[in-house]
Parts: sequence; C-alpha cells; structure tokens
Amino acid sequence: MEFVLNWQKRLIALVLTLVLLLGVIGYQGYNLLLRRNFVTYTSLVDQFKYGSIGNEDDEGIPYWLWLVLPRIFSDKLPGAGGYASLGMTWEPGHEVPVGISKQTIGFPRVGINCAICHTATYRMTPDQPPVIVPGGPSSKLDSLAYLRFLWSAAADERFTADYLMPSMEYVHKFGWLEKQLYRYLVIPLTRDKILKQAQEFAWTAQQPTWGAGRIDPMNRIKFKVLGLPIDNTTGNSDMTPLWNMQQHQGFAYHWDGLQTSLHEAVISGAFGNGATKKTLPLANLAKIEEFIAQVQPPVYPAAIDRTLVTKGEAIFQANCATCHAFGSTQTGQVFNDSDTDPQRLTVWSQAAADAYNAFGNGEAWDLQKFRKATGYVSPSLDGIWLRAPYLHNGSVPTLTDLLAKPIDRPTTFYRGYDLYDFDQVGFVTTGKSAIKLGTPYDTKISGNSNQGHLYGTELSSDQKQALLEYLKTL
Amino acid sequence: MTINNVAGPKSIWHKILGVLLVPLVIGIIWLITIFTSNKPVDYVDIVEQFKYGSLGSEITNGIPYWIWRVMPEVFADKLPGQAPDIKPNYSNFGFIQEPGKKLPIGFSERQVIINRVGLNCATCHVGTFRTNKESPHQVVAAMPSNMVNLQGYINFISSVVVDPRFSPDRMMAAINRASGGLNPLESLIYRYIAIPQTRDVLIDQGAKLSFLHNQPQWGPGRVDTFNPYKSIQFNFPMDKLDPKELIGTADFPAVWHQKPRAGLQLHWDGDNSSVDERNKSASLGAGVTPTTIDLPRVQRVADWLWELQPPKYPLAINQELATKGQSLFQQTCASCHAFGSKKVGTVTPIEEIQTDPARLNSYTYELNSNQNTLFAGTPYRFTHFRKTNGYANHPLDGLWLRAPYLHNGSVPTVRDLLEPADRRPTTFYRGNDILDSQNLGFVSNLAANNSYKYFLYDTKLPGNHNTGHNYGTDLPTGDKDAIVEYLKTL
Repeated sequence: MEFVLNWQKRLIALVLTLVLLLGVIGYQGYNLLLRRNFVTYTSLVDQFKYGSIGNEDDEGIPYWLWLVLPRIFSDKLPGAGGYASLGMTWEPGHEVPVGISKQTIGFPRVGINCAICHTATYRMTPDQPPVIVPGGPSSKLDSLAYLRFLWSAAADERFTADYLMPSMEYVHKFGWLEKQLYRYLVIPLTRDKILKQAQEFAWTAQQPTWGAGRIDPMNRIKFKVLGLPIDNTTGNSDMTPLWNMQQHQGFAYHWDGLQTSLHEAVISGAFGNGATKKTLPLANLAKIEEFIAQVQPPVYPAAIDRTLVTKGEAIFQANCATCHAFGSTQTGQVFNDSDTDPQRLTVWSQAAADAYNAFGNGEAWDLQKFRKATGYVSPSLDGIWLRAPYLHNGSVPTLTDLLAKPIDRPTTFYRGYDLYDFDQVGFVTTGKSAIKLGTPYDTKISGNSNQGHLYGTELSSDQKQALLEYLKTL
Repeated sequence: MTINNVAGPKSIWHKILGVLLVPLVIGIIWLITIFTSNKPVDYVDIVEQFKYGSLGSEITNGIPYWIWRVMPEVFADKLPGQAPDIKPNYSNFGFIQEPGKKLPIGFSERQVIINRVGLNCATCHVGTFRTNKESPHQVVAAMPSNMVNLQGYINFISSVVVDPRFSPDRMMAAINRASGGLNPLESLIYRYIAIPQTRDVLIDQGAKLSFLHNQPQWGPGRVDTFNPYKSIQFNFPMDKLDPKELIGTADFPAVWHQKPRAGLQLHWDGDNSSVDERNKSASLGAGVTPTTIDLPRVQRVADWLWELQPPKYPLAINQELATKGQSLFQQTCASCHAFGSKKVGTVTPIEEIQTDPARLNSYTYELNSNQNTLFAGTPYRFTHFRKTNGYANHPLDGLWLRAPYLHNGSVPTVRDLLEPADRRPTTFYRGNDILDSQNLGFVSNLAANNSYKYFLYDTKLPGNHNTGHNYGTDLPTGDKDAIVEYLKTL
C-alpha cells in the first residue's frame, strides 16, 4: 500500500514536471515563433509608410538577419550605403526605410509595402538629403536589384548560421533558446524561402532588367498569384504616383487601365506583393486607400514665371487638355495611341483578367473589375513635375525631352539619381553622379522604346517653354 | 564479511572521490570564472576613471594586454621613430604616460578571459600644455588630445599584424621576457588562441581601414571620425564611395561642460543634437559595439563631463585690453559663439562659412540612413543624426586649449584666424604644447624640440584648407589683439 502510494506520488510528480516543462517550452516557443504583434499607426501617412500589407507571414525576412545582410554581402550591392544603395529611402530617425514594415510574428520580421515603390524623392542640390514625398512614384528604387540581392545572398555559401550569427550577435543580444531557434530553424528556413522565391521569379532573368524606378508588377501576379503559365511578355513600366486619388474617381488604373476600381487595385496590390488570402489586412488596406485619396502632390519647389504660365496654360488647353485635363472625358481613360512601346500591353490578357476576377469568389473582398484593355491610359498630370522619367516605360527622361521629336530624344541615359533638373523638368540623367548612382537605360532594348506621343513636338521653342512652365504648376 | 567486503572498497572510493572532488569542483569553478570573466578595471577617482576607465571597448575590439605591451619592442622598427635613442613604447604616438601608471592615458583594461586593452574617451580627449619650454607638461582632461597621432597608432597596428614576426613563437618569447613568464593556462591561451585570433581580427580591421592610406596624414590631434565608421560599423565598400567624401579629417574637440550644450547641434557639422547619442556614437568609435557598450561606465563619465569646467588661462591677462575685447566680441562674435545666443549650436551653411568642405562631405545621407539602425531593439536606438549643409557654431569655453582652430585645425592661433585667409600661415607645425601667449594657441613655428619632430601641416592638401570663417578679419590690429585677450578668459 505504501509502495503503491509512493509510486503514484512519483508518477504524479513526474507528470506534473513534464507538463510544466512542456508548458514552459511551449510558451517560449510560442513567444519566439508565433506570437503576433503588428504595429498600426494612427497617422495615415505613417501607416502608408511603415504599416503591414500582410506579407510578413509568407515573405517576411527575420529583422536581425535583414539588418546585417548588406554588411555581410556588401559585395553584392551596387554601391556603398547598404539598402540605400538600392534606392531605399530612410527618413532621419526611422529604424527602417520608407516602404518597409517591421512586425513581430514570433520574431521581428520585415516585409515591403506600397510605399517602397510609391514614395518619391528629390534633391535640390547634390549634397542635400532628399525631400521625401509619400504617395509619389519612386524614381530610384531598384526593386529587382533588391530581390536579386536577397536571392544571391541566400545562394551564397556564406549564408549559414555559423557565418551569419556573429554579425547578428554584434547588433543584438540573443537569449540562449532564441539563438538555437535562429541557428537551427529561422536561418535555414529563411534561406529556403528566399531561394524558393528566386525560383518563382526565374522568369525575370529572361526579360530586360527593370532598373531604378521600374517594375513588372502584372507578370508576377499572373505567375505567382494566379498560377498562369510563364509567357515571354515584358511589362517593365514606371512606378506610378498614387496621390490625389479622390479626384481620379472613375479613372482606369494601371498604365493600361486593366482595373477600374481603386479599392480592387489596392487589394490586388497587396496580393502582388506577398499577401495571402489568409493574411490580407483589410483594415490596413482601407487606411492606404484613404491616404492615397487625400494626399496631394507637392508644389513645384522652385520659382515659377507666372506670365509664362498664363501663356502656357492656353497652349495646354489647345494641345493637351483633351486627354490630360481633369474634367475631360478622355482623361484617365484608355486611349489607343499605338505609337508608344506596345510591350506593356501584351502582358495582360482576358484570361488573366478572368482568372483574377475568379480569384476571390466568395470572399468579402471579391475582385470583379479586372478587364483587358487595348491601349494606354491618358493620365491626368497632377504632380507631373515629379513623375519623371516619362511615358509608361519611363523612356523619356524629362518633360523637355518629351516635347522633342522622338528622334531627338535621348537614346541612353541613367535613371535613379534623384537630383532635380530644373532646366529640363525631370531628374538629372547624365554625368558622373547619375552614372554612379543610377542604372543605365537603353531605349533600344525590348520594352524600352521612346517612340510615340508626338503631341506638342511641333510647337515652337517659345511655346514649349511656356507649356513647360505651366506643367510645373500642376 | 560480505558487508565489509562491499563497504571496504566503497569507502576507499569515497575517500578518493572526496579527495579529488574538492579540487575538481574548485578547478571547474575557477575555469568557469575565467572563461566567463568580464571584469573592467575601475577607479574611484573620476578623473582617473576618465583617463583609464573602460567603456567596454575591450570586449570585442580589445588587444590582449601582453600582446599590446610587447608590440612596440618587437616592432620597434615600425614606430614613427623620432630619434635613435627612442624608447620602444606608445609615447611615440604622443600618448601620455603618467609616472607609475600601467597604461598610457586613453587606454583601459578589462579581463575577458585574459586582460585586454581598449580605447576610451581620453584617447582623443586628454591633452597637455606647457607655459614655456622648461615647464612640465600639464595634463588636462577633456581638452583635445593635441599630441596624439591616432593615425600613426592605427597604421602601426595594421602593419605589425601582417609582419611575419607576429607569430606565436616570436610573440611568446617577447611576452615571457616582459612578464617574467605567464602561468601555464595563460601561456596556452596566448599561444593558441589570443595571438592567432588577435592577428586575424586586426588584419581584418586593417583591411577595412586601408583607405586611410590615401588620406593626407592626420598628424597629431586629428581624426577622421565618419569614414572609419562607414567601414567598421556598416562594411561600406570604401572603394565605391565618391572620392569627395573620403577625407573627413578634423580636430579632436574639447568635451567639457556638456550641460549648456544639450540640444545644440553637436559634432563639427552639427549632425547630432543629442549629447547621449553623441556619447554612444563616440564610444562606438573607441571600439564598443551595440551589444558590448558598458552603459553605466559611459554614463559615469558623461555625468562628470556634464558640469566639468575648462581650466582657467594660466598666464597673465591684460584686463584692460580684455575688457575692450569683450565689447568687440559682443559685436563681432557673440551672436554665433556665446552660450545662449541665437545662433550658437546651429549650422552656418557652407556657402556662407566657406571653410574646407571635406569634413562636411564625409558625413553623408547614406551613412545617416544606416546610423538609424544602430542600437536597434533598445530604447536608445539612434534617432538624432541628420545630414546638414554646413558647420556648427561652437561655444568657445576653454578656447585657449583648443588650438589649432577651425574644424580641421588648419589655423594655428586665434590671432591668425582673425586675419584674412590669404594671410594665414600656409604651413605650420602641430604637436607642440607650449602656449603661444601672444597669438592664443600653441607654438606652431618650431620644426622640432631636440629630437622630437613636430608635424608639418600643409594647408594646400585636400581637407586641410584654411579658408573661410571671414569674421573679424577686417578689424584694426588693435581690436584683433583685444579680442584675442578677451578670448583667453573664456
């Protein structure tokens, strides 16, 4: 009897100990791997710049690893400055660049958001820090170079816990258990995930490179989100401004107008950048929609000749307003000017539109407004001074060049240097710094043609001067 | 019988175990203590702590004491030798060896398994002066290290670690000579871990700093703060940087009396307005890392510097002239340089100040971007760094100990600074600590003192230009002399 009691007591003690141990391990494991802590911001612009669009679960990179990658693999970056060399922009005092969301799912992770492509920068002088304009198009982010940097780092033989952990421990004190998790779980899994992503993006190796300020957003959606077969189309196009959307109601969205609902464009943007049906953060996306509806393009930051503007406005009314002025029925709608480079049009098909319209069937956010259009949208010109380079593929560096006959437009130049060119109205695209900091653009490469849009090219040089002055005011 | 048979051997084992167990446990505890040790050498006196105390730089970037100690002897040929009778020690780099002290000023010690030597605030912020050639060097804490040739020290270390003599055999022989023999455990650690590891770490550091060879020599009293920062903290590929940002050489500043500096734009280009952050940033420069910084000890020094007053000018002052100078100062200088004035601690744009732009250009937006991640995950992550467009207007307390002048130390005396740029000396000597009582600064026209050669500063070299700051330059000579006299009193 006594023996039995003892045995029972021991068993109970053993079970209790085991339960306690499992509890502690489970709790620690939950804390270090699963606990969700997502930051949301009360300010709409902060939410736009740093909030989550729901891709951290699937594509988030462990923060401490992300932080040291540019230091370890600095040889794989185009220049000095870490992520800044890829065209990312830090606001002074902020831990991560604009367009990077840092959230905790067990451990801190970073993902990209809309602001990474849709925040413009410009500099008044070479030595000044950039002025940062959330909602504008980035002219300097080389998004494909960022992805390729990650792919190349993950494929490198140095991408091992042995090699990475010392650098991570230089910047952060890890607990013992945390260290083991990074060593045996987080680092190997991250490596596999990045390499898998590289596979999914293998098609980018077959097309001309994007370069600074450009992206092929619809092909990724086709292949990754919709599972359509890889084709040989090139959708390389300029990052777009998202400001002033309130005034764009009823417009067609994307360069070829493949979507007519802003709400759906925002949601599909999240899918295109790694959100999943499970993680789609509708409340966050609603804030983005609200932000881009309101945010205004910045005022031209230099002196403007008012007399010239008045003259230019008349020229604009006579030559441009039908397609580009607010209030005109053509503005914001698809226009069949087939002279500009056609590659971007070939990317989207009725099949793709059908697939995307079926993608969310039964979901609260069901998408219905995708379509196949047959031309490029003639956009409104709000904030046009900060939307260089011009045309959908960013093939014409400045507004001055766009008013020149195609034969007189530059055939090669450098994109990605954000020093503003107040003479030509656009960014500086030649010279030592543009070459050093930018990416080369060759108009002879497929998808890069600078032909077409002959409007205004026949104006006299005085008229062009006046028109330019007016365009600065938009 | 049976019981005895069993108990007999058992008790023997117990005894053996008992005899062994005590030393075994003690031994294990001893080894654990050594291998987890992290013991800085502390000082009760705060001035001593400032000169010799630890910021935590030894933990990651320290050099094992005995290696550090014997390097000047083993590699005496690599010292910036002044004369044949030179002693192989760190005084050759201008570091101050106080009598009876184990280390020169600016070096701290901490046991991390073995004793290691690191740098601290005093490396760059303790200097000396003499009132004349015969008087002794007077050590002043928190003044610029006007004698210290930091680049010489960095180059020395980079060059000895790639020398074949930096081998376990050669180094151990010298260490045993100097120490009278290490204990067996220390010998093993030195031979098989410390020497090879130190060599690897310092070779790597030397490679990261190799760009310094392309800079004009710093000479005594100067440092390039932010270029090594780019390379050491962030591993920027220095060969990809714009050449115009690669020379950031500037004078060591004085660091006394921080309290009235709170909120001012600190550093020469005013790139940070937080005293705390600036202190941590400087600690990184001394060799701490975001995870090894010794915050309580940094704070202890910071608290002391908060109220510390600069010493009074030690020579006679013509009070009448100084009074005249004071009112001239009020008209000409005070709006930018007096505590409490409108523009003190703000940045004057480079177009206006027109001093050498190299130091300003060395601090870039890209560096600023990366600094935002320093100390990430802590409440004191850096948030105050900014790229500016000029140089900050500094308060002038203790100005008499802060020569040469301007951010790059290109103008030997205050009196020279009051001359138009084309009439300032184009070459002069740095590293002499004898006060120039007439011109306010240090004696700058002597090439050598006995065997000790001073550093020839050439204002024509990149980063060394003595242009700009054209204030007070058109005053009559008498007024300039009066201002000089007044500035001695600050």
